Amino acid sequence: MISRLALLFVLTSFAAIVAPEPVAAREKNQTPESRAAEVEKSLVRISCTEQSADYKVPWNPGNIGGGIGAGFVIDGQRILTNAHVISDARFITVEKQGDPKKYVAFVKFVAHDCDLAVLGVENPDFFKGTAALQLDGIPELETTVAAYGFPIGGDLMSVTRGIVSRIDFQPYTHSGVDNHLTIQIDAPINPGNSGGPVMQDGRVVGVAFQGYSGDQAQNVAYMIPTPVAKRFLKDIADGRYDRYVDLSINYMKLLNPAHRAALALKDDDRGVVVTSVSVAGSCAGVLQPGDVLLSLDGVPIASDGFIELENDRVDMAEIVERKFKGDTVTFEVLRDAKPITAKVTLKSAWPYLMQSSSYDTAPRFVLFAGLLFQPLSRDFMAAADIDDLQMRYFYNFYVSDELYTEHPDVVILSNVLPDPINTYLSPFRGEIVAKVNGKPIRTLDDIAAAFVEPVDTYVIEFIGGGRPAVLERSVVEAARPRILQRYNVTKEKNLENPPAR
Amino acid sequence: MRTRQPVKFVKYLLFFVLSLGGVTSLVAQEKPVDGGRPLAVVRVNATTQAYDFFRPWGKKPPVSRRALGAVLSGNRVLVAAELVANQNYVELEKAASGEKVAANIAAVDYEANLAVLIPANPKFLEGLGQLNLAGPVKTGDRVDIWQLESSGTLVATEGLVTTTEVGRYVLDDYGFLLYRITAAMQYRENSFSVPIVKDGKLAGLLMRFDPRSQSVDAISQPVIDHFLKEAASKTPHGFPRAGLQYQPTRDPQLRRYLKLNGAAGDGGIYLSRVDAGTSAAKAGLQAGDVILEAAGRKIDADGNYDDDDYGKISINHLISTRHYAGDSLKVKFSRGGEIKETTAIAADRQPQSFVIEPYVIDRAPKFILLGGLVFQELNRQYLREWGSGWPKDAPLRFVYMDRYQAELFGPDRGKVVFLSQVLPAQSAIGYDQLGYLIVDKVNNRVIRGIADLDEALKTPVNGFHKIDFTTDPRTIYLDAGTVARDTQSVQNQYGLPVTTRLAE
Repeated sequence: MISRLALLFVLTSFAAIVAPEPVAAREKNQTPESRAAEVEKSLVRISCTEQSADYKVPWNPGNIGGGIGAGFVIDGQRILTNAHVISDARFITVEKQGDPKKYVAFVKFVAHDCDLAVLGVENPDFFKGTAALQLDGIPELETTVAAYGFPIGGDLMSVTRGIVSRIDFQPYTHSGVDNHLTIQIDAPINPGNSGGPVMQDGRVVGVAFQGYSGDQAQNVAYMIPTPVAKRFLKDIADGRYDRYVDLSINYMKLLNPAHRAALALKDDDRGVVVTSVSVAGSCAGVLQPGDVLLSLDGVPIASDGFIELENDRVDMAEIVERKFKGDTVTFEVLRDAKPITAKVTLKSAWPYLMQSSSYDTAPRFVLFAGLLFQPLSRDFMAAADIDDLQMRYFYNFYVSDELYTEHPDVVILSNVLPDPINTYLSPFRGEIVAKVNGKPIRTLDDIAAAFVEPVDTYVIEFIGGGRPAVLERSVVEAARPRILQRYNVTKEKNLENPPAR
Repeated sequence: MRTRQPVKFVKYLLFFVLSLGGVTSLVAQEKPVDGGRPLAVVRVNATTQAYDFFRPWGKKPPVSRRALGAVLSGNRVLVAAELVANQNYVELEKAASGEKVAANIAAVDYEANLAVLIPANPKFLEGLGQLNLAGPVKTGDRVDIWQLESSGTLVATEGLVTTTEVGRYVLDDYGFLLYRITAAMQYRENSFSVPIVKDGKLAGLLMRFDPRSQSVDAISQPVIDHFLKEAASKTPHGFPRAGLQYQPTRDPQLRRYLKLNGAAGDGGIYLSRVDAGTSAAKAGLQAGDVILEAAGRKIDADGNYDDDDYGKISINHLISTRHYAGDSLKVKFSRGGEIKETTAIAADRQPQSFVIEPYVIDRAPKFILLGGLVFQELNRQYLREWGSGWPKDAPLRFVYMDRYQAELFGPDRGKVVFLSQVLPAQSAIGYDQLGYLIVDKVNNRVIRGIADLDEALKTPVNGFHKIDFTTDPRTIYLDAGTVARDTQSVQNQYGLPVTTRLAE
């Protein structure tokens, strides 16, 4: 899965457009051109200036960049686009066809876990003369669709056409950890198509968002299907985005006859077996390893984990995907060969967020005596040059080995800003903090608190043994102004916005 | 899932092949050796064939290499051990006449990379010269590196000893005193295991050569001396290992915290780990202690002592090479500022005593094939099959377990048995994507070695073999009634010579 992710690019040079493509019979009556004219009224060109966080020097404001993306007008004077088009935004403007003006826009809601966002526009005049597009269902395989956007090759709207190639669960590269339903199309889609509508019959069937670059695969592009977009719009109806919910379990397909017989199952191709249940997830205390899941909300689960839903065979997760925080699902379970019913109240899982890209948030850190402490995260790993075995272990097995129960934050000594007081500590770069003055460090806040304790000596112990790092308060205090001045440190800690746990 | 790249153990032996295309300069330092004395080197032809740890039922293709051996007194020929690692056949060949004889390995130490060969015909070495061991080699000394022309003429290349220090030999984690020598060497056939000679006496054996920097790493004379003494003893032991990890104590804030002042002087090493069951642990040393003196030598804050022959050098040399297994070493250390003394008995450590063995050479991988499922014992030889990048490329959990085995496992852990791969077969339908899974229990019995697995498979539960892993998918089952037949058919289908190997 990881290697697969690497091949995907997000269509984020920010321009997207869609040309809906009529199917068969209708095509005769209505030309694509007239469709394009309709979509033109809804299509929005989005220019975004962004500032991405600097995980190497976390007190720095970060690099400024920008790009062009697409979006489209939906009901309620809103614009739907991709989250990655407006991530880390500092200034957003939107333009529409036939109007030279740039309108200042703002993010109303953003869902980084499904790469969608809703924008508002400060001047309501923007929406004069625009038409809100309607979201349709899932298009049939092999039917024609058209993608609209502002991809490279020119400044004006572009339309490309293709067919629906595949409907499947795929990773969403924006967060790097989420999998949702996607629709693969063979329309040429390029950076700049992001956020643009993909149309069929005058209605939206998807939002263009990612694809493979030409040297990896030919004509493989993905759009976010409407069930995902509709779910997002429904979630924010209460004025808040609550994120996706999930079961946080692993299960194994029950394809092996001996495995089925040992679990007292019939040879009916039904059921999967639970192999692990996250203590931080929805199913904790309800399901247990060894449970055989036979049905979900009354829908039979096949032995490969698939279900029949609206005439499609999809992953059983799709039922949960359409639900919201606080909703319930009911499993028919075989536990120790006896049937039981398990009702699960759904919530979002937090541990996996550590492995997820984060946006719109400043890096958390603590700087003490020139030692920089940061919580382990995907963004941190991407920025760090450290290739430490222990760190890779904690990162990769954080969720599966439930390392988060002991270490909600894996606090890393990420850097040493050299100074006479810490010059012997540079080999500790990359070590994971276990304790300070005997107290276990579970979160970044813990270590920040430990360093304001009025003690003479701070003794930092690391995981995996090794000698402690010892810092005397008087020495640290004396060096503090020198280190801050020399390394241009504008802020000694940021503890804001810890992940919701 | 399986993009494994079988790797040759031979890789470690390749130093010379690298220079095939390079190094044409500086021939001037070469000279033929005085023909008056009888030649004290022979050619050694070794055919090795390593076990394939990815396919534990078989061996890799055989590899033949030609090398040199130093002729010693007592009918012995000294070579680098990696030459004969996993050997099938070794022979000696006289340079002048081409006369050949089979040779037996009388002693071998893969950690110190040395082996003694004995010709099958005791008269074979008669008429050849003998090399005695040289004394200590110092930085700045000139030495001769001996090679043979294809004609049999001995050629010496002069080299300058630039460094004498403790460094890694061929196996990771095993460091000993080595000489770094700058020399403009030419590639010649059998330029492996080349003797390094000072004043006509054996000072070292070539271990590595980097043609770009023209730098030779050589097995040093004290290591050869130690090895030969052990080889000659009635109960030969390996080189002692202290069983600890240490860190320097230069940091003044650390020294004040550890109360290292006054009586402790300005040296000492901080013990960051003491492995259970080792000499250090038996002597009562603990993590957190600071060793100040060992065997009467002061240890400085970086872990060096003042050696009579080699000056400032790592404590490692003092313990591993200067001392022999069974020696008593007085150790002075500080614990919480209090100065204490203890006596440690130096001891070697066989690779078999590790949970995850650091190397498996001349020994076959143990495994059990069950249906299509292949179970093996985890060791670093298996991890090395991923090639030189194994610490990054091999399964992360395994690499982590190997590195932190002292912390993760108690002394009675036994071995780690894992499901290495699944050969698609009838009984393995639905399991074919499984691999790299550590076995916890089979049929409710704890598995701490391949023999445990063999035993546990004799008592199926309710007609099934229940296999529990430490991670997802946790538990799988095989039909105990039919799996034996399926193992048979897998053996036939895939042409496997054996389906089980319980002993090396």
